[in-house]
Formats: sequence, C-alpha cells, structure tokens
Amino acid sequence: MSIENQTFTEKYDLLGCIQCGRCTGGCPVTVRAELNVRHFVDQAYDEGKLDELARLAEIWDCTACHTCAVRCPKGLKPLEVLIGLRSMIVESGKVEPTVRDALQSVLLEGNPWEKARAARTDWMEGLDVKVAEEGQEVENLIFTCCTIAYDPRVQVVAKNMVKLLNQAGIDYAFLPEDESCCGSEVFTIGEEGLFEMLVEDNTEYLNNFNAGRIVTLSPHCYTTYKTHFPDIRIPLYHYTQLLDELVQEGSLSWKGELQKKIVYHDPCYLGKQGGIYDEPRRLLKSIPGVELLEFDRRRERSLCCEGGGGKMWIESQSTEERLADTRIKDARELGADIVAAACPFCVLTLEDAMKGLGYEEEMRVAEITELLGELIEA
Amino acid sequence: MKSFVCIKYVPDTSEAEVKVNSDGKTVDDSKFSYDINDADNYAVEESVLIKEDKGGEVDVVSIGPKQSEVMIRMALAKGCDRATRIEDERIANHDPLMVARVLAGAIKDQEFDLVFTGCWAEDDGHMSTGVALAEELGVNHASMVKKVEVLDGKVRAHRELEGGLIEVVELELPAVLTIQTGINEPRYAPIRGIRQAQKKELNVLNLDDLGVDPSEVNLDASGVILESLYIPEIESAAEFIEGEPEEKAEKLASILVKGGLV
Repeated sequence: MSIENQTFTEKYDLLGCIQCGRCTGGCPVTVRAELNVRHFVDQAYDEGKLDELARLAEIWDCTACHTCAVRCPKGLKPLEVLIGLRSMIVESGKVEPTVRDALQSVLLEGNPWEKARAARTDWMEGLDVKVAEEGQEVENLIFTCCTIAYDPRVQVVAKNMVKLLNQAGIDYAFLPEDESCCGSEVFTIGEEGLFEMLVEDNTEYLNNFNAGRIVTLSPHCYTTYKTHFPDIRIPLYHYTQLLDELVQEGSLSWKGELQKKIVYHDPCYLGKQGGIYDEPRRLLKSIPGVELLEFDRRRERSLCCEGGGGKMWIESQSTEERLADTRIKDARELGADIVAAACPFCVLTLEDAMKGLGYEEEMRVAEITELLGELIEA
Repeated sequence: MKSFVCIKYVPDTSEAEVKVNSDGKTVDDSKFSYDINDADNYAVEESVLIKEDKGGEVDVVSIGPKQSEVMIRMALAKGCDRATRIEDERIANHDPLMVARVLAGAIKDQEFDLVFTGCWAEDDGHMSTGVALAEELGVNHASMVKKVEVLDGKVRAHRELEGGLIEVVELELPAVLTIQTGINEPRYAPIRGIRQAQKKELNVLNLDDLGVDPSEVNLDASGVILESLYIPEIESAAEFIEGEPEEKAEKLASILVKGGLV
C-alpha cells in the first residue's frame, strides 16, 4: 500500500525504530487497554499486515497524548502509526457512527459537535466583546475553539476571557462565526483528506487577518496550529501565555482571594506537546490565598485524561478504571479543593470523573479562566 | 439491478430554536444547519449495499438548492453513480404529491428495478412522498422497510408496523421502497472520496428539462394550502405521589388504569 507515493514504512519512518520499548513503557492507556504501540510499529512495516492491524479495536484506544513521542529516543511518533491505521478505516467509510457524524459536521458546519455554524458565536450574546474584521489591525486575535464555542459547560472560558481582556484594556478581537475547527481531532481520528482541507482553508483564513498574534483558548488548537500549519504567518500563543504576561506586567490583578488548595493538571496538548508548563502555574500562584499543589505525575509525565485522540467520540472497550478517575482520586488524596486545568477536554473528562466518583461536595474541577474570572468580579 | 435513490436536504431543528417568521407561513432558518434527511441517508446506504451485492447502478435524484450539492456529492462518494438535482421555484414543495410528480418526471422514462426513498422527511414529516411516487410511477411499493432481500424479479421487504410487528411482503419489480432508519449503518464519506466523486455526473435540471408541465406541480395544482404555521403550546403537569411505598403503588396503578395506560 502506498500513501501519496510514500510507503507506510517511509511515511512513519518505521525502520528508525529500535524497539527499545520506551513508548509502551510510558503509554498511559496500557493500564486499561490492550494497546501496545511498539507491537504496531514492529508489525506495520509488513504492508501485507496493514489491513489486519487496522481492524484491531485497540488502535482506537490511543488518546494521542504524545507520551510515546516525547519518550522516543529516535524522535519518532509511534502514535502516528496508529493514526495511519485509523485513516485506512476512515477511507473505507466504516467508522463508528459517532465518529462519522463528528467528521461530517466538521465538513458541513466547521465543528465536530453537529452544531450550526450560524450559532458559533451565540455565546457572545449580552457581552461587551470585540469581534474581528478581515484587514482590520488587531494585536491579539482570539481563536475560540469549537468545544468552547458550543459546549455550555466550557463556554465560560470564552466569556471570562472577554471580561479579563476588557479588564486588562488590551487590543483584542475574537474571530467571527466563520472561524472553523482547527482539525486537532480530525487529524488524530485519521481523516487525512479533511485535515489537509482544514490546513489549507484555515491557513488562508487566518493569514487574512492583520493580527499581531493569534491567541488560542484551547491547547488542542494551539498545538495543532503550531505543529501542522507551517504557513500561518501570525505568531501563535496559548491564552495562559497572554494572561501570564498581563499579570507579570501588572495589567491584570485580582480582587479578593481564594483560600484553596489547587492542584494543576497539565493538559497533554499544552504540556507534552506545547511545552507550556510554567505559565498556568504562575497564573494560579498569582491568586492571593492559593496553595498550589503538584501531582506526582506532572509536567511531561502528566497523566492523560483520555479526552484527546478523538476519544470524545470513541468509547473504549475497556472496563478498567478510567484515567480521569485515577487523576481525580490522586487529587483527593493530595487534599486538593480544586483541580485546575487549561483545556476544555480535560475539564469535561475530569469533571465527569469527579461527579461519577461522588466527590462533588468536596472538590471542584475548574478551567483556569473560571477561577480568574471570579476574581475580577469580586 | 438499476436503482434510484431520492434524497432531501433538510434543516436540523434539534438544536436551533424554531421561530415562525412574521408572514406566518415560513420559519426563520438563519440558525439552522442543513444535511441529508436522516432516513434518506439510510436509503442511500441500502441502495449502495444492494449495488455492491448484486451489481448495477444507482442514480441519485434530489429537489433542492445549489448548497445541497455537498450532500449529493457525499452520496456519490459512498458509491452512487450519477445524480440529478432539480431546482425550480415553480414546484409546490410543501405538497408531497407535487414533489412526487416531479421526482417521477426524473425517473419514469428510464428503466429501473428499485427506487429508494426515506420513509419520512424530518422537516415536514408527511411520510407520503415515497408512496405517492410509486403511484405516479405506476409501480408497487412497500413503506417503512427495515430489511430488503432482492430475489429473482422480486423483492422481499420487511415492513415495520405499529406495536413492533414486522410484516414481510414480496413485490414484483420494479418497486418503490421507503426506508426506515436503523436498516443499516450508513458509512462515512471521506473527503478524498468526495473529491473523486466530483468526476461523477451531476445534472442540474428544471421542470422544462424534465418535461414536467409546471401547471401540474405548482401552487395552483396543489390541493394542499398552507394556511399558517405556529409553535404548539407546551403543556406539562407533574403530580407527586405521597405516602408509603404500598400506598404510592396503589395510587400510581389507579392513575395508570384511569388514564387507559395499562
């Protein structure tokens, strides 16, 4: 089989693998699923076996957390072998209905949540928010993200960003309703053709704005643009970088205090993949009264919440404990009042776990902007 | 096996609030997203599965605007062979009989074994177009079909009836089948497939091209007059039953019996 003149082996540099096992040794989902990524890297060079490998259910257990890529001494990305196999299934059309509907929704409406494009900026209603126009000069162009735009639980991220940016009095504008999905999940699900289309369309779309920088609210958008959109001419930032900068220079300060123990959960797409570890911690520490705790598994060793890699639309066959449950139990053991994250997927999965475990009365899962937003209103 | 599959481009009203415009006869569609009618998606899949099994060709027919071509291209990417999109403002779209006449105009002069439609459209919910189409074509039909078996010169259709009953009927071909959702699992149309499908034939025709007399399918011809649209008032009531478990059970049973629910 060949993919655009490259063989599968060439595309994923399979012969570069030395079978050292660092990938499987660090893979967080091995504790709850059959997945053994080293086995796939070993077997996939035999092109006669690709169809058989692609049919194995465990290729859909990968959360694309990138731990294997971070740990690989040869600089390979073992997870992308699994994505390559997924793409064979996607091309056959025989994907789970939930995946099918998410992908089709990206094509038709620019988001994977089967929501109307026309409703993308409904969250702005009643807010004093600046919206960007093509050609107009703006220092900070805000990319909202599909999940934050539509999911009622995490719309607060965008709403509070508006308040924070208004408070700081800086030059900003949110993208209008023609903002489209960054393709993070399209890429990891393996819809190569759709992802190529998004790279082309979004690059052209974003470059049309006369912006000093693009600030993404989700780390999935941040890392996807940084990694896969080489022709975006505008520098990319994650919002934690911008807010950290504003706090450091004194443009943002907090009213009141928060006498809470907060443990910060490093989102895989912000930490392992985006290399942003310190800014979110500095932001949390800037809140008066906060005691910042640390998980044992933190920074590049952070435990994945299983929200990425298309897992929002693919249920694992495993009945073992979910990693988000493990994470919440760890936080409770630390004595944390709040588990803070800077990613909409992490917030959704961790909060589900917290509720499922019945810890609602004693703990809270919060996006960092949620906490900061409360402190400018105090 | 030569088949036709008729599909409709409909708004998804499950998320957006439906508001009636001030004319009282149309709805505000500014916040809607549009896609293939759900049951029609299953009809496309069934037509392609039968083609894959028995060979032959599938033609797509749809009445709809230019924007609906993305839906048609998806059907072509899934395995349909060519398509006809009909666009003509003179068609009385709110009347299933008028719609069926137009669809019949696109099919009747060609040879065919099966015509697939969805069993109902999510926007107007008439559940009549497929059956009316069979009448217009002068062929057999089976509605609400949950399973299809193609036999020699015949088709065996498993129809879903009220109360969960399944009726099995055999029809001489050609025939129209209106497909119920759940008959199969519609496949995904990957973008590369959609791009390749750009090479397939998609003809855009109006009533004159089809040879359909506009006076037979327009507002004057329609026996259905759209008087007005309104949002039904939502009424709800909840009764909390108090007492010990046995008492509660007795009260509940009495309510259910009185209401004719058991």
